[in-house]
Amino acid sequence: MCSSHRTLIVLLVALFGGGMFGGGVFAGVSSADGGVDHGYGYGKTATIEEISGWDIDVRPDGKGLPPGAGSVEDGEYLYEDKCAECHGSFGEGNNQFPALAGGEGTLTDKRPHRTVGSYWPHTSTLWDYINRAMPYTQPESLSDTEVYAITAYVLFLNDLVADDFVLSRENFATVDLPNKPNFVPDSRPDTYNVRCMKDCKEPGSIHVVTSVERQPAQPVIAQSAPLPVPVGEDIYRQACGMCHENGITGAPKPGDDRDWSGRVDQGMAVLVRHAIEGFQGETGIMLPKGGFSHLSDDEVESAVVYMVGESL
Amino acid sequence: MEKTDKQAGEMLPKPELARRRFLMGSMGLVGGAAIGLGPGVSAAGNNLPPNIPAWTKSLGPGVLTKPYGQPSPFESNVQRRTVDWLTPDRIASISFTPLADLKGIITPSGVVFERYHAGLPAIEPTEHRLMIHGMVDRPLIFTMEDLMKFPSTSVIRFLECPANGGMEWRGAQMDGVQFTHGMLACCEWTGVMLSTLLSEAGVKKGASWVLAEGADGSHMSRSIPMDKAMDDAMIVYAQNGEMLRPEQGYPVRLINPGWEGNTCVKWLRRLEVGDKPWHHREETSKYSDLMPDGTSREFSFAQECNSVITSPSPEKPWQQKGRYWVEGLAWSGHGKIKHVDVSTDGGINWREARFTSIVLPKALTRFGIELDWDGSPLLLQSRAVDETGFVQPTYAQLKKVRGTSSIYHKNAIHTWQVRPDGSIANVQLS
Repeated sequence: MCSSHRTLIVLLVALFGGGMFGGGVFAGVSSADGGVDHGYGYGKTATIEEISGWDIDVRPDGKGLPPGAGSVEDGEYLYEDKCAECHGSFGEGNNQFPALAGGEGTLTDKRPHRTVGSYWPHTSTLWDYINRAMPYTQPESLSDTEVYAITAYVLFLNDLVADDFVLSRENFATVDLPNKPNFVPDSRPDTYNVRCMKDCKEPGSIHVVTSVERQPAQPVIAQSAPLPVPVGEDIYRQACGMCHENGITGAPKPGDDRDWSGRVDQGMAVLVRHAIEGFQGETGIMLPKGGFSHLSDDEVESAVVYMVGESL
Repeated sequence: MEKTDKQAGEMLPKPELARRRFLMGSMGLVGGAAIGLGPGVSAAGNNLPPNIPAWTKSLGPGVLTKPYGQPSPFESNVQRRTVDWLTPDRIASISFTPLADLKGIITPSGVVFERYHAGLPAIEPTEHRLMIHGMVDRPLIFTMEDLMKFPSTSVIRFLECPANGGMEWRGAQMDGVQFTHGMLACCEWTGVMLSTLLSEAGVKKGASWVLAEGADGSHMSRSIPMDKAMDDAMIVYAQNGEMLRPEQGYPVRLINPGWEGNTCVKWLRRLEVGDKPWHHREETSKYSDLMPDGTSREFSFAQECNSVITSPSPEKPWQQKGRYWVEGLAWSGHGKIKHVDVSTDGGINWREARFTSIVLPKALTRFGIELDWDGSPLLLQSRAVDETGFVQPTYAQLKKVRGTSSIYHKNAIHTWQVRPDGSIANVQLS
């Protein structure tokens, strides 16, 4: 494609003369370079040193990996120190920060659980992402050795390597992630609606399945105002967890797909209203605010949001 | 540049009125009474004919009271908003464009939805560089000054997060068009064609992909096929006539017209030319489409044809029977919008709406249609067709192919239920 593009430029320059295209560039039409061999001459040549400081990307074939190695054993200490607060000690995730392990065999479930082990296709992506963006609050703070070690430990959390494994540039290609074969190219368009204008459906076939009513708009938070402290998890632990953690009186457990799928489909507003006002369902009973009448409506709502977030 | 209480107060005849308006605005215009009142209508009606309004009998502030202008304080309800349960915090999060309150097809820069992966970086433009390297003859580093010397191009193109509407695969969940469709904007973008920069560096034979990478803490990275890079991809430094807003990638970003917003890497620092894609986190773990059979589509770049009615909407209810102007937005990542049809009966019968804006490829297109409402409940829908002949699908068609777990690229026909009281509910139909 590139060579044909250049051929086109050469042809255009030959046909219309150099310089003619320099100023007239429109969407969809590639710019010719004004007929000058080396274009406009803007910018400076990037040195090898400059490039090496920024060139951090790694590909599945290992291109871009620096020399080095790191062990599962070292990775465990680093992970506990730098990763576990958000991702959980076992890679189970925490407060909506992503889980890194588990979920094998769930991709065809109604609520698939996407983790490194169950979903990601390439080990290189893990190394690349940890190196480019983690830890969340301190990107580009890890040494190459530390990235190797943490990558090795996340592989271990997913039962993909043994506890004495040492990941290195040399053996990188030997660790495949299980879901790799399931990544396929985009095959859209895949829907084929037709532009029918009259009597397109049977009138009796149309039913409202899910519905959400307008809630009062959330107040606009000024840019200078401090961000609200997330309280949902705290409220859940203080109050709701007593029943919901154990499924008492039919309370749906956070994280349990079967418990939540039907409920979430009703919409957040309905769930919050039931939690505040109480609800008698087919399988259980929810007391108003779970019996914790001192909680404000907002606190109850935040706990519902937390539980739903854990269960999506 | 920010509105302050002091400035807002100066613009208003009475401080208590300002407070009253703010409270009404923050109530979300739920009640019919609130929505019918225009600016300047106090409870006493002192400014209405035959009375002479206070502002007609006095002088206002002079020029340069606000060297950089802001919307009227009476429009303070037109704001980006977020849905806090979507993300663990606001550093790696998203806010939504207030579509119901916008006019025409250009999204004002200040309310274009935000998407950050590591918060908003504060980049000093003189210290920012764009590097092009990899399979090129001449690896280059450009300053912002260098980039702006190249021939510039301006285009109007939509920008849409592929997760737009992604919360509704399993059912109606959001209570306004801001949240069902607000990961969407349309701006005039100005910059240099990526093909120009690649030609400047000299792409080597065999190169077929370009990695774009941001300068923020997440170093957001996406693999872009060379075909797109050489077609209409742009390196953009300006938006709606001024330099990019920080939220939109200041000082420079990539725009891939019609493609996932996520590929339009902001705060762009590096382009690497290569012969394979990189399969990075944002194109494997995220922004891939999980199908019911367990396979996942990778590099699903295009934003297919879509539309939504913005008025009425949950934010813009009706008050009484009568004639209404129904309007909305349509867009397609594959080109121009060809038709938009509107149904009031849940898709049994359709009428063609008319375009009320210029129709541009890969841009928002505004449509409208008159409707006489007799107070009976309606199931209001819009259905767009693009110039490739693609017809926006129904939920049933979409879910049949893709199930409910693919998160991205939900472009189904959307339904607003008009209730007898004029309120509008977000519903999904069987």
